[in-house]
Amino acid sequence: MRIAFAIGDAGGISPELAARILADEEANKGDMMVIGDRRLLAQGEADAGVTLDLPVLSPGDLARPLPGGSFMVDLANCDPGSVPQGTWSAEGGRAAIENFRCALLAGHVGTADVVFFTPFNKHAMRLAKADYVDEIGFIDATIKAPRSGREFNVLDEVWNARVTSHIPLRQVADALTEDRIVESLELTTEIMEGAGFVRPRIGVAALNPHAGDGRNFGTEDDDILAPAVARAQAKQLAVTGPIPSDTVFVRAVKGEFDAVMTMYHDQGQIAMKLLGFDRGVTLIAGYPFPIVTPAHGTAYDIAGQGVAHAGATKNAVALGRMLAERLGKGRAEAEEEAADLPALFHRALDPDAVWG
Amino acid sequence: MTSALAPIVISCGEPAGIGPEITLGAWQHLKSEIVMAWMGDPRHLPEGTPFEIIDDIGEAAALGGQALPVLRHDFACDNRPGHPDPANARGVIDVIAACVDLVQRGAASALCTSPIHKKALIDGADFAYPGHTEYLQALAGGDTRAVMMLASDALRVVPATIHIALEDVPRHLTPEVLRDTIRITHDALRHQFGIDAPRIAVAGLNPHAGESGAMGRQEIQWIAPLIAELAAEGLDLRGPLPADTMFHARARAGYDAAVAMYHDQALIPIKTLDFDLGVNVTLGLPFIRTSPDHGTAFDIAGKGIASSTSMTQALKLAAAMAASRG
Repeated sequence: MRIAFAIGDAGGISPELAARILADEEANKGDMMVIGDRRLLAQGEADAGVTLDLPVLSPGDLARPLPGGSFMVDLANCDPGSVPQGTWSAEGGRAAIENFRCALLAGHVGTADVVFFTPFNKHAMRLAKADYVDEIGFIDATIKAPRSGREFNVLDEVWNARVTSHIPLRQVADALTEDRIVESLELTTEIMEGAGFVRPRIGVAALNPHAGDGRNFGTEDDDILAPAVARAQAKQLAVTGPIPSDTVFVRAVKGEFDAVMTMYHDQGQIAMKLLGFDRGVTLIAGYPFPIVTPAHGTAYDIAGQGVAHAGATKNAVALGRMLAERLGKGRAEAEEEAADLPALFHRALDPDAVWG
Repeated sequence: MTSALAPIVISCGEPAGIGPEITLGAWQHLKSEIVMAWMGDPRHLPEGTPFEIIDDIGEAAALGGQALPVLRHDFACDNRPGHPDPANARGVIDVIAACVDLVQRGAASALCTSPIHKKALIDGADFAYPGHTEYLQALAGGDTRAVMMLASDALRVVPATIHIALEDVPRHLTPEVLRDTIRITHDALRHQFGIDAPRIAVAGLNPHAGESGAMGRQEIQWIAPLIAELAAEGLDLRGPLPADTMFHARARAGYDAAVAMYHDQALIPIKTLDFDLGVNVTLGLPFIRTSPDHGTAFDIAGKGIASSTSMTQALKLAAAMAASRG
């Protein structure tokens, strides 16, 4: 087991969270390859009030057999002295992108079984890379994925997957098709079965208020969502809906569903963040390795204060490890084969390299 | 007992729904705290209800909570729970008008409405209004726009658009609609909730409030400028905020009410926080009006299983608002 651990945005609580995780014996099981700038992690140590004893390698050292315990690959790409704390910067965004890219490549070639990162800030990433839309597009381009993964929000009591994500609200209704919803339900079932659920029960949130109120407030719930649910049921998926979105989470939390499928971003995020703001994990699944991160953001308002709560971050690490263990050892065979990590990392740091 | 205030008047709503039984339940719960009177046909009250007919709402306090004070309004016929009788539609409509008259005259300090069923009113009396609230607006006279607030102990939230398809939200959400919603919310917080300098948080329309235009541009194009314009007039506003991070406890501590852009953006947080405890408040009327946040529930009417929690909360909030208005 190895976790490729990318340090996130330099301006927020990511360095502090990274230090807290590495200092925590339960979270750091000696299986972490930390990717980032050693000076930034040192700042995180200072913020968190911990001291880490971590072997530091340069990307070139990755040509040799890797150390047994946790270690750091120092990309020397983000001097905390030149990055403002408590806000975004192009510098911080660029380093986060490089760290994430290297971690994904380590997962792609089988060196890592899990990719984990502390929070990014998309605005900072876009300052550095104007075409950065979201993680999924970036992952697809980096590892040339044959199919896109999906983002899940995970709490102990309920999972949330969504059919559309980072698009304007105006585009949501047009983006929903029966096929797309059925496919989302199938993928969610598959991913959750991989996480140990047996025939996970999924409640499907309606698109419109009161599930359209008998076509008074939109027709999609009757014409698109209901047929999609029927098709998924015919495939033996344990799916129920469409259910008005202001009650579906309440029913899930009471034990009726293992997951809620929402139609758009805020429909799920509002409820999930209310239910577990300090606990929630974002899982990006559907790739050969799980990608996990805390669901909360960079928290610029408390950066550098030493008060960051690492609960969600620990949950993210634990979920990634559990999923990778369950994914089986098939990938272990491929590990340590002749992947040229130094060359890959070198390319990840090359501003002119073209991906995807 | 807040005897200094005029009583709260409760309209009977659709008698075939759960209105009569939840009124009884709420009255039993609150009779020692709040003076109230129910207007309707006493035949429609659940059997065994201890009630007393009064001629004037001013007599309600004198009953001392011994019996439910009833302002008698005779309906065309008796009632069968779960099965609205078109002949009774006229009575439902007239009771609402009579209650508004009481609260407009100050004889009642607030109006708490029981649920109506629009179709029954259309079938029985050609009810011409899109809903309860629009009818109240018309009765109140004036050309004010009314908006709906959902309120619980944890959150007050006002959706700027309500019962429309999600697809239609960006078209219906105009600067005029949002400006009115914010202004009405601000005024109501001051005058009906007793908050001198209300703080209002405004949600974005798009994910991450558009994230600098990457996921929608309404925030940049007009929502943020509108907020700035109203803030320049002295309103204490923040936003547009990402809707998914504005409802947790720490965020809620920073505002007195939130303005949401669409129905579920408001309903999801309030129901997730307080599933049974949310109530509706109509803002923008010249009087206080609250109501439970559910419908007539014909499927369970008359079975004695309806929860009166939301009605109880609606009455409590009406009383608190009346007291803070003084």
